[in-house]
Amino acid sequence: MVIMLVFSSCKKLQDLNKDTKNPLTVSGESLFTGAEVNLFQQMVTPNANYNIWRLISQQWTETTYTDESNYDLVDRTIPDNHWNWIYQYVIKDLDQSSKIIASTSYPFDPGPAVKKNRLAIIEILTVYSWSVLVETFGNIPYSQALNINNLLPKYDDGLTIYEDLIKRLDTATVHLDPAYGSLDVADQMYFGDVAAWAKFANSLKLRMGMLLSDVDPVFAKATVESAVSDENGLIGSNLDNAKLVYMSSPPNTNPIYDELVASGRHDYIPANTLVDTMNRMNDPRLPFYFTQVDTSTTGDPKLAYVGGIYGESNDFTQYSHVADNIQIPTFEGLIFDYAETEFLLAEGAERGYNVGGGSAREHYNNAIGASITYWGGSDDDVKNYLADPRVAYSTAPGNYKRKIGFQKWIALYNRGFEAWTEWRKFDYPVLFPPHRALSPVPVRFTYPIAEQTLNGANYATASAAIGGDLVTTKLFWDKY
Amino acid sequence: MRTFTILTALFFFVGIHAATAQTRIITGQVTSSEDKNPIPGVTVLLKGTRTGTSTNADGKFTLTLEGINITLVFSYVGMKTEEITLGESNVVNVILQPAMTTMKEVVVTALGIPREKKSLGYSTQEVSGDVVQKIKTDNFMNLLSGEVAGIQIRTTTNIGGSTNVLLRGIKSLEGNNQALFVIDGVPVSNENTNTLDQQDAGVGYDFGNAASDINPDDIESINVLKGAAATALYGSRAANGVIMITTKKGASRGDGDSKKNFHVTLNSGIKIGFVDKSTFPTYQQEYGAGYGHYYDGPGNYWYMRDLFGNGQLEQCVVTSEDASYGAPFDPNLMVYQWDAFNPLSPNYHKATPWVAAKNGPITLFKNPTTYMNSVSIENAFKAGNIRLSYTNYKQDGLLPNSQMIKNNVLLNGSWNVTDRVTVAGSANYIATQNQGRNETGYGTSSVLSLRQWYQTNVDLKEQKDAYFQTKQNMTWNWSDPTDLTPIFWDNYYWTQYENYETDGRNRFIGWASLDYKITNWLDIFGRMSVDMYDELQEERRAVGSIPSQFGIGYGIDGSLGRSYQGSGYLRRDITFSEYNYDIMANFNKEFLKVFSIKGVLGMNIRRTNQSRLVSATNGGLIVPEVYSLQNSAGPLPLPNELASKVGVNGYYASASLGWNSLVYLDLTLRCDQSSTLPVEHSVYFYPSVAGSFVFSNLIKEVKWISFGKVRLNYAVVGNGAPYNDLVDNYSLATPFGSPVTFVPEIKKNPDLRPEMTHSLEGGLEMKFFGKRLGFDFDLYQTNSIDQIVPLKVSAATGYFYKVINAGNIQNRGIELALNAIPVQTRSFKWNITVNWARNRNKVISLAEGVEDLQLGYFQGGVSINARVGQPYGVIEGTDYVYLNGQKVVDPATGYYEVTKNSDNVIGNINPDWTGGMRNTFTYKNWALSFMVDVSKGGDIFSLDMSYGLATGLYKETAYLNDLGNPVRNPVIYNTPGDPNSGYAPGSGGFINPGVKPDGSPNNIRASAENYGAFGYLYNPNRAFVYDATYVKLREIALSYTFPASLLKKTFITGITLSAVASNVWIIFKNLPYADPESGLGSGNLQGYSTSSLPSTRDFGFNLKFAF
Repeated sequence: MVIMLVFSSCKKLQDLNKDTKNPLTVSGESLFTGAEVNLFQQMVTPNANYNIWRLISQQWTETTYTDESNYDLVDRTIPDNHWNWIYQYVIKDLDQSSKIIASTSYPFDPGPAVKKNRLAIIEILTVYSWSVLVETFGNIPYSQALNINNLLPKYDDGLTIYEDLIKRLDTATVHLDPAYGSLDVADQMYFGDVAAWAKFANSLKLRMGMLLSDVDPVFAKATVESAVSDENGLIGSNLDNAKLVYMSSPPNTNPIYDELVASGRHDYIPANTLVDTMNRMNDPRLPFYFTQVDTSTTGDPKLAYVGGIYGESNDFTQYSHVADNIQIPTFEGLIFDYAETEFLLAEGAERGYNVGGGSAREHYNNAIGASITYWGGSDDDVKNYLADPRVAYSTAPGNYKRKIGFQKWIALYNRGFEAWTEWRKFDYPVLFPPHRALSPVPVRFTYPIAEQTLNGANYATASAAIGGDLVTTKLFWDKY
Repeated sequence: MRTFTILTALFFFVGIHAATAQTRIITGQVTSSEDKNPIPGVTVLLKGTRTGTSTNADGKFTLTLEGINITLVFSYVGMKTEEITLGESNVVNVILQPAMTTMKEVVVTALGIPREKKSLGYSTQEVSGDVVQKIKTDNFMNLLSGEVAGIQIRTTTNIGGSTNVLLRGIKSLEGNNQALFVIDGVPVSNENTNTLDQQDAGVGYDFGNAASDINPDDIESINVLKGAAATALYGSRAANGVIMITTKKGASRGDGDSKKNFHVTLNSGIKIGFVDKSTFPTYQQEYGAGYGHYYDGPGNYWYMRDLFGNGQLEQCVVTSEDASYGAPFDPNLMVYQWDAFNPLSPNYHKATPWVAAKNGPITLFKNPTTYMNSVSIENAFKAGNIRLSYTNYKQDGLLPNSQMIKNNVLLNGSWNVTDRVTVAGSANYIATQNQGRNETGYGTSSVLSLRQWYQTNVDLKEQKDAYFQTKQNMTWNWSDPTDLTPIFWDNYYWTQYENYETDGRNRFIGWASLDYKITNWLDIFGRMSVDMYDELQEERRAVGSIPSQFGIGYGIDGSLGRSYQGSGYLRRDITFSEYNYDIMANFNKEFLKVFSIKGVLGMNIRRTNQSRLVSATNGGLIVPEVYSLQNSAGPLPLPNELASKVGVNGYYASASLGWNSLVYLDLTLRCDQSSTLPVEHSVYFYPSVAGSFVFSNLIKEVKWISFGKVRLNYAVVGNGAPYNDLVDNYSLATPFGSPVTFVPEIKKNPDLRPEMTHSLEGGLEMKFFGKRLGFDFDLYQTNSIDQIVPLKVSAATGYFYKVINAGNIQNRGIELALNAIPVQTRSFKWNITVNWARNRNKVISLAEGVEDLQLGYFQGGVSINARVGQPYGVIEGTDYVYLNGQKVVDPATGYYEVTKNSDNVIGNINPDWTGGMRNTFTYKNWALSFMVDVSKGGDIFSLDMSYGLATGLYKETAYLNDLGNPVRNPVIYNTPGDPNSGYAPGSGGFINPGVKPDGSPNNIRASAENYGAFGYLYNPNRAFVYDATYVKLREIALSYTFPASLLKKTFITGITLSAVASNVWIIFKNLPYADPESGLGSGNLQGYSTSSLPSTRDFGFNLKFAF
């Protein structure tokens, strides 16, 4: 026995080190599925360690532990978690997925066309993921990112990245051919529907272009108009929404269910900022957004929608809760919807872009209508709501930014990140920081603390370039 | 150091045969040549027999013998043995000479090679097995603290928890830094099987480390090899030093007469513990449940609820709130408390007085009891020896329903087959069963969370009764008086009785060896050994518990990022096996009477296999109280599997040259071939050289110097990589309608090289006045370079970590061991041993461009880091903002300003020095010893303080302020809003010492009205970093050995009775409310205290019988 072992060859000894439990190669499609699910996880979860934008945009607030509502980003290293998640759990997997599919040969017809579609779809989701990072932090490592041989990647200028992303979207859209299939069930968002991906890509381009309106109007206009005029069209109804339908058993349940129901905790309640606003307008979406609470002091039930005081300590039982339908395990996650597209078109019309017909008012009405019906409201609800002079486009107070920003904020309920970004763009509605807040309402995230230690010099350069690594530093597109 | 020679001698009694006819009654006295004092306890034997006696306290003896030609042998440890042949006289007075200068003190060195201690060019320190036998503990390592210079023991207070054993500081950045354990030449695993999440202070249990399986009663002696030169022959895994354990063998006390060598020893011990109250919080008694006053009812402290549907609102305690920042207690105030909703409670639907709990959290703890019983049978024959021992250990823990049971059987023996061939073997089987370990870290089901989150109005005895009455989760922490589901915390008794874990390990350690003496100077030795165990860890969450992070998440053991599960069952099946095959040739020759050469040529083949399978239910249990995977409500998630195999082939040669017992030189060379490195780097060589010079042999005329030696050595030790660090694999996850895979967070590296530790050590050992005074002094420096680390990298690279060779950690230290006998008279002896060590470690470099490496990140926002230029293991977190050295206060609030960045160095986990002092007094048959153990300096972050002060639990949060008013009263100025207008009567608040941003002294009163003021919310992490110094009276032991004269007519050869108190008194510490030693478990991440069990003062009795 001993003798045998002594003369065992080097090669054989090294064989011990092989991992027999995990694969050396996998399909690009399975990596794509993972990335897609992870992306939705980050955008949908209300977990205070990862996604606190429902709080920052004052749709929700906290009950007892109010740190995040008061903009404490440090304690839970929220910027680190967001950054790490998108770079490693999403973009890295998409990148690897793309590389594997690109190097796989599909010789038989229609293999090559399907492969092209797959790669284009991966590219579109990659662009979306990058856009989230840029919109959160500003300058980020991009051209030197995803290279493990360069441990100190330089940060690129946010605007440069953003414009490059739009170009990548252009190319990807051109490569899409709806006549052929793509990822099938490996794509849990559109199940490989190439036409739907094209609409998503166009809407994304519309949104990204519009975000640059204040900083690079020429480029913004061209981008918006090319998105609108693309033959595949935009997200044109709630059927085209970019969504992920969750499953009934863990770990594939909706993360809202995980945090609000499965956890047994009572950390979040709707914020008075949103609830009061909607109460005032008698918004038909109220029952779909929130539960009612008994406000009686006499014993006779008196149900009402009552939001927790934003940023303050709140008694869970005294306030409305997040509506039951939002808390079911299979509730769908959403990253882009029809209402959002129509709001963008309304904004485009106001900004004087060619949005392919329709006035700002029409698109505004379509947007609100799409939102109300998405949540379960009736056509009458839409009609009545739009008839309210505080809602009607012609009579609603303020300029177009106020009108659209205000309604979009309501429509983007439960979509904290987008609500936050649109609020930063429009500066409406006016949000006030709570009195115990650590800062004014953040308009960006500070860079991950880990970047200070792991990539210090580049971090410092980037911080200086954007005007300081602060939550109050306005990003390149956020001119006003 | 032979500390316990006198005790050993006292224990050594020999039976006496009854006198018959033709007898001679021989009497005499034994004295020492040094001080002319009588020596008690000298063994007096009739030559060639076990017949004899020992001297009494006056050095006198009486022997009744037969015959004419009588030769008596007088022996005493540390003295030369004398043989006296009697003439006519029946009186013998003997003077014994000290053996110091000539006695060969033999120690067991690496690979079990016995060496004369004076020939060693490196530092070793020996501890008698006695040290770990007096106190009955589940882990003998805990008892080594302070006994050896340079050993740093950190015991947790966890039930059956792991013990951190460091020798000469932390050397490896992210690898294992624990000393290697070797029993009779067989390396045994000392890994703990704690999860990644547990080690990062998340949810988990401390399953202890595997070296605790060693039965202390089987230990003959422990030899600690501290430096790389001492351990070079063991190769890479011994880079952190070696704890060498020699087990007891059947010992020959005559010349192979098996009747006389037959011995049975019975040992029985009991121990009971009492909570050391200084290691548990003192709760305030003035305010009850709540986070502040933003609820309903009077003072906004209450939940006003229509409990009876009569339209009337009742005043209820804010049951959902796990803080004590609520209403002031008032015995005249009647409110509905948690028990008003327990239908079986006498208080059901009744309001009760609003008062502080009579039975606070400390009520939870029981007095832990330990029973340990062992029996051993041994014999020595002409042809060999044999020993069999069995030990049963049972401990009932500090927490209800917690228990450890350990059964240990050891059989060993050797057989001289011929004059030239000896075979030997050992088989040790250990079965352990544990139940109800405390959950460590920051988790939803840790009962020790009551250090942080609790209501001071909750009576623990009532909680206990409520659980036993209803067998339901009758928590104090209802979601609402109208929603009787628990919200954050379960009833603690529910947790202990329903959500308990169990774990068990079956372990076999065995070896067989053959030694063939080819000539008188050459022998060949071969040995095969195995250490294997299987372990099952089972975790439970009963239906009705609050949801907690449970089941399988991600990370290599599936413990990270777990989802919330209301109930469930999880099991980890772990197997481990390590096989070692050794073959070596030993030669030993003297030339020309002055030269000696000792050499070893050998080979070691090691194969280590580890497997782990983790599986768990998903989405809860279908049927309550059935803990099985098939009882899963949802489809089972993918299990988590690991199968690691590591192989190392080592080849080594060593030569020891000696000249004239004056100069010695040791050379070793080892070559390893490791399975974990790429082929081209898998073979690596490393040498060591050690020299010693016994200078006292040159100055023999200086009488007061009995012994003097200088030594110097240099050694390099290489090390392979951990398993599977070369090739990238993908991770698989639960499918989402379609298969799901991921790129792992760690980028592997196919170009890894071996790590190298270089060490340089010099020492001086001297003895004076015979053996009355001696010291051993060491200086060393080690540099661990090219370490294999999963370097944390910017996630922008697409990974979180990249495995690289990098870094240089330096450890420099001083060690001093002192032994003195200040007083020695006829019947009294006082012996002092002192150990002291200082280790300074420093991170010289990390990877290129990397200044700071995060080793662990904890709840509360602090991390443990390695940072260039700093000691390994700095605590980083938020700090105060300083102006000219003064803390800056925010003038708007009166609270301290806190840095925005959290990479400030706010502490260092390494102690400045450690030391221990043992005093032993012997008087006649009595022996008393006590041990003081010190760890000076180092820091610890307390999450308990950070949270417990915030939630208003501790007495520091309720006091009369400088105005003489309750500090929690609102701050009221005479003119509202004007701090210069003076305070209205009754104004609360406190003034933080410091300055305002303009540099003027702070005069702004901070409000303590709502939760947080004293805790984490308004203070930086720095505020909760404490000096980890402790001075402990570890042990007081008193023993009495029955005089042989009393036993001589019985079959009993010895009885020793002892009373032992351990952890008697923490003489000094700075960490409030916890033992500074209480950590999460063994491992590199120390310096963090959360939710630990209090420590206990333990009192025990032992009875030892030998016949």
